Amino acid sequence: MTVTETFVLEGHIVDSLLLAKVLDLVLELGADYELSEVTIGRTSSDASRAVIEVRADDDDVLDRLAEQLRVHGANPKDPGDAEVVTAEVDGVLPAGFHSTTNLATEVRVGRHWVSVTNPEMDCGLAIDTDASGSVTARTVPMHRVHAGDRIVIGQAGVRVQPPTSARGAAGFEFMDSEVSSEKPKGLLLATLAERMREARGSGQKVLAVCGPAVIHTGGGPEIARLVKAGFIDVLFAGNGFATHDIESNMLGTSLGISVTSGAGTEGGHSNHLRVINEIRRHGSIAAAVEAGLIGGGAMYECVQRGVPFVLGGSIRDDGPLPDTMTDVVAAADRMRELVPGVGVALMLATTLHAIATGNLLPGSVDTWCIDINPAVVTKLADRGSHQARGVVTDVGPFLRQLADLLGS
Amino acid sequence: MTIDELAWGRRYLMCPPEHFGVLYEINPWMHAEVVVDKDRAREQWDGLVATLRSAGATVEVVPQPEDVPDMVFTANGGIVDATAPGGPLFVPSHFRHPERQPETEHFARWFDDQGWRVERLPTDLTHEGAGDALPFGGILVSGYRFRSDQLAATAFSRITGTPVRSVELVDERLYHVDITFCPLSDRHAIGAPMGWDRYGRQVMEALVPEPLWLTDEEALSFCANSVVVGTTVVMPVTPVRVGRQLEAWGFDVVTCDVSEFLKAGGGCRCLTLSLDTPLTTVP
Repeated sequence: MTVTETFVLEGHIVDSLLLAKVLDLVLELGADYELSEVTIGRTSSDASRAVIEVRADDDDVLDRLAEQLRVHGANPKDPGDAEVVTAEVDGVLPAGFHSTTNLATEVRVGRHWVSVTNPEMDCGLAIDTDASGSVTARTVPMHRVHAGDRIVIGQAGVRVQPPTSARGAAGFEFMDSEVSSEKPKGLLLATLAERMREARGSGQKVLAVCGPAVIHTGGGPEIARLVKAGFIDVLFAGNGFATHDIESNMLGTSLGISVTSGAGTEGGHSNHLRVINEIRRHGSIAAAVEAGLIGGGAMYECVQRGVPFVLGGSIRDDGPLPDTMTDVVAAADRMRELVPGVGVALMLATTLHAIATGNLLPGSVDTWCIDINPAVVTKLADRGSHQARGVVTDVGPFLRQLADLLGS
Repeated sequence: MTIDELAWGRRYLMCPPEHFGVLYEINPWMHAEVVVDKDRAREQWDGLVATLRSAGATVEVVPQPEDVPDMVFTANGGIVDATAPGGPLFVPSHFRHPERQPETEHFARWFDDQGWRVERLPTDLTHEGAGDALPFGGILVSGYRFRSDQLAATAFSRITGTPVRSVELVDERLYHVDITFCPLSDRHAIGAPMGWDRYGRQVMEALVPEPLWLTDEEALSFCANSVVVGTTVVMPVTPVRVGRQLEAWGFDVVTCDVSEFLKAGGGCRCLTLSLDTPLTTVP
């Protein structure tokens, strides 16, 4: 296993051949280096400075090297490992805890950089050591901390991989914003379809986060098609999406409006309540599918294909459906369980569920936000999900084209 | 042949051997069972003072307290910058060995009493003063490993603004740079390559236009530990070849017996601290 240490060498290190000597020493001892920063003084009386990242095969080599380099004035840049303290109370992080980002993160423990297994923003960092002495690092949300967990304090010994920009290399560009309604949708659609195919091919999961507008705009059957064809592996939504999906399949309306004619229907305003009531009578969506009450739609396909879904509840929900999780902390935890393995996330016409999901996703997840309102994408990025790509368009027709493109 | 005489080396601080002796062993030359002839030591020291004065130098004296037998080697007391912008500056040493550490305050007090500015090194760095730092050609040549930390040279450079060449010392018998190097003029110097690592040799070869490189035997005789006053070179030992070369260059060579002090691993240079060293050169 490779161990690393960063050394700083400063002074008249060029004319004294100290830099050359130090670099030679590193190689002579079988280690390797990278000069991450070199500032050469302009005149002979100006000091120079070099930051040298040294990689060695094991601790022994690095120890011997560190000892020798110190003689020549090269000292380790940082004291090394992350500071770790033990949590004393369940659900409370120690004061001064390291607050995470959603980016790929490494923690230095015992002079090894350990990758954080599940990057998630706004969490603490817990260090676990198993019986064989092997060390792992994971993010831990505040409410899931247990007394005795070893938690990283402060910034030292933690490094984050900066996000790579997905933008083009061109300098000045019009329409350069990530979010614009004036973009060729066909290209974006083709890119997204390709990514979804790739994900399916490489065993990554595709997550769809759906708002009720997906159903209102006629996108329900398209989600159903994508689920049925195996292009959606996980579904997050709220009480409204599931309700209107089932309503449109049972009664042909979404919030009482005919999804085929777009016209109001008599007594339609209570349709969704009657649907919720019937599902509650059956005990769950799956039971209602089983009983033949629901014969199609996104939720139906999820049940049929065993695609896991989480319906996160809110204070304004009607009913709610028996599947809707009204304990939001428990709902977020259930979503967390389903996040590992997700490679592509589609945020479809929803603000609150998109932000809630964005909070849980690693920054490495290819995140697409499809919404008629550009502010939603901006809002998502402003909440830390900088990786989100925005497509400003009507979600219903977009999904139809996507499903067509994927041949589902 | 005319020599571009050194701009320094005409004013020295010395410490009469009131309490000198080999009482501990901190270099390969010291053997505690060896007895120092105190009277002879005093005679030799007086002889060195007289030689320096007759060569044109002035000598000032710091008294030796009882607890610091090696304080006679004033070169190790600190670094002098006689041309520092805010007035003459003294940076006291941080000795590596606890046996010599009490010397620091004795030297600092003397300079303070004389009205010098005294600036301290960072406490975690060791450096043994002019013993490991000699100016040559606008550069401060600083030795490191046995007695001084490499980083101390950087610290000096920050304090004085002088460019530094750090040279690693590799032979414990030549534990200070002033046993391996002696600036003679602006262009001439004596050097002992056996005392330096290969990088240090390259640095010194590039630095000295007209060098007298010593053989290993010559180097171990301590002949580089000499004091230069104008064109007079005061040497503890003068190997024949070295003496001839110095005379050929136009120097007057005076051999000054300091054999009692060699028992402790110190020669003429070690017994003197130049008080007129100009580290800050005015552009």
